[in-house]
Amino acid sequence: MSVHDFWTPFALEPFINALLIGLSIASIWLVAALGLTIIYGTMGVINMAHGEFIMLGAYSAWVMQYFIGIPWLLTLPLSFVIVAFFGWLVERGLIRHLYDRPLDTLLATWGVSLVLIQSIRLIFGGEPQYIDAPSWLKTVMVIDFIHIPWMRIFIFFLAIALVAVTFAILFKTNWGIQIRAVMQNKEMAASFGINSKKIYGLTFAYGAGLAGISGAMFTGLKTIFPDMGLGYVVEAFLVVVTGGGDLLGSVATAGIMGEMFSVFSYFTNDTFGRFVLFILIVIFLRFRPQGIFSPSMARR
Amino acid sequence: MQRANLYHDKRAQWGVYFVFFGVLAIIPLLMDDPFTMNQYARYGVFGMLALSVSLVWGFGGILSLGQGIAFGMAAYGMGATMQMQYQDPVNDPIPSFMLTNELEALPTVWEPFWDTHLGLILAFGIPVLFFVVFGLLMFQARLAGAFVAIMTLAMLGAWYNMAYDMQPFTAGFNGISPPSAFEAFGVEVDPYSNMIYWVSLGVLAFLTISIKALLQTKFGTIVQAIRDDPERARYLGYNVAYYQTVLFALGGLVAAFAGVVWVMISQYVSPTSLDIFFSITMVIWAAVGGRMSLFGAIFGAMFIKAAESYVGDEFQATWFVILGVVFIVVVRFLPKGFAGLFEYAVGFVPYWRRNG
Repeated sequence: MSVHDFWTPFALEPFINALLIGLSIASIWLVAALGLTIIYGTMGVINMAHGEFIMLGAYSAWVMQYFIGIPWLLTLPLSFVIVAFFGWLVERGLIRHLYDRPLDTLLATWGVSLVLIQSIRLIFGGEPQYIDAPSWLKTVMVIDFIHIPWMRIFIFFLAIALVAVTFAILFKTNWGIQIRAVMQNKEMAASFGINSKKIYGLTFAYGAGLAGISGAMFTGLKTIFPDMGLGYVVEAFLVVVTGGGDLLGSVATAGIMGEMFSVFSYFTNDTFGRFVLFILIVIFLRFRPQGIFSPSMARR
Repeated sequence: MQRANLYHDKRAQWGVYFVFFGVLAIIPLLMDDPFTMNQYARYGVFGMLALSVSLVWGFGGILSLGQGIAFGMAAYGMGATMQMQYQDPVNDPIPSFMLTNELEALPTVWEPFWDTHLGLILAFGIPVLFFVVFGLLMFQARLAGAFVAIMTLAMLGAWYNMAYDMQPFTAGFNGISPPSAFEAFGVEVDPYSNMIYWVSLGVLAFLTISIKALLQTKFGTIVQAIRDDPERARYLGYNVAYYQTVLFALGGLVAAFAGVVWVMISQYVSPTSLDIFFSITMVIWAAVGGRMSLFGAIFGAMFIKAAESYVGDEFQATWFVILGVVFIVVVRFLPKGFAGLFEYAVGFVPYWRRNG
């Protein structure tokens, strides 16, 4: 970067493209943050290993495709299952014992993330891996001046689908009612016969599974390497915290953040855009620590 | 007379501090190897960073994952100061990395660094000022716990990106490597000498003893009361946000000392000083050593870094797996770290204290 071309003047067509890219970025951040939202919203656990769950999802997709030859689209649900199971194990073995010490969960899960990154590096090496996506996803959609890769469109709609499924689970199933009951008042829910330990375990597994499927999805756009999770986790946290740990809040925040980032980046550049966005979020949280929506939720 | 734990005896604690720093101080006399001294001086810096985490987190209850902000800012301030000591105002006024980035004149933000004293003041002042503003922003909103952790982490990420991206001002990824050693008050601090070790150790000892003394004042008591129950401290009439901000800024100052000394030792500053991974590692040092104990945190940092260099680059991945597992075990079973274990063990030493 040179100082002279720091500021890009406004022009309509590239700006519209930037807005569309913003939507795509928003959908990626939303998918990355979705599992985290469920976990944070339900149990107040800050799962620092979330980025590594995403990485695990990406690696499971790659392993399944590279060694077994499973088509990419099929690896998505399988990654969900694998990482969900792994998340369930982590909850059982570690997080379950730390519910009354929220800060320590943050640290312990960071330890988990360190172990995961380095284990994957030991097993598969540090070099980047690539996935072979179906050919129709590798083309770019062109309408006049608008250029969007089909992969981004695919991820956008998959994100919407995942949010819809999560909503349906939370609001239409028995399990969802139990989750929401535990979320609002754990003791009260327990006295109504809800096994909160089981709910926590399942919810954590579901959140981890969402990370897994998002990781498998991201392999369509990005390369796979052991510490790829770090690239998503900070943004995902900001989406969750700014959204107040609420599902709708996360959707709205991801949308706003993605668009703002894309617009800032359009006028300046990626890194400066991110800097401005982070500063704005910090200032926003100063005045609304409870997040954009959810005025009545307990502050954690 | 009453049975008590020797671990909590203030005089014994001071004794251990003096013995510890005394023993460390005579190491150069026994070895006289400039390269090893440079290496050991770095451990002093890691000790300072763990100290700052211990102060802010262990005694103030503020889990900051952004101590690297102060470290990095101070390191860049010091890097700029040392770079400008090398530059000549008449013949060679612009650092070479700026020339390769097509800058025709020295940027205004770099001008103050011509003056070594002003440069040093900025290297300490900017991070502390930033921590005061940032702290006020967070603590007046009564943010605590994980929120502070995430916000400091985000802020660190933002600064990392800036240092990386503002290439004409920070040399970006390559970083600034001042060609000559730091010189102030007519003394040149050779990074490969016994002196650098004593400088590093001296700063560490000074900071540790000052913090130890500070924590025994009323301020220290209030800060620890806030850690244990901020709400109760607030009801007792203490201005919690004020105390937390002061403590946070002090932690920033300690990390800034670390940054300044680090650049004196390594003659190099790059965005890695603002790396997220590095800042969380500081928290690991303090947690494993024992965040409630200044000595434990320092020892944790030195021990882990020494073990890391002993293991070597070849087995680095394996080492980090082990470190991660140790960290998980410590968090799960030993919240007070190894200092807590030590406290337990010392409890068996027969020791009585007069009542009152």
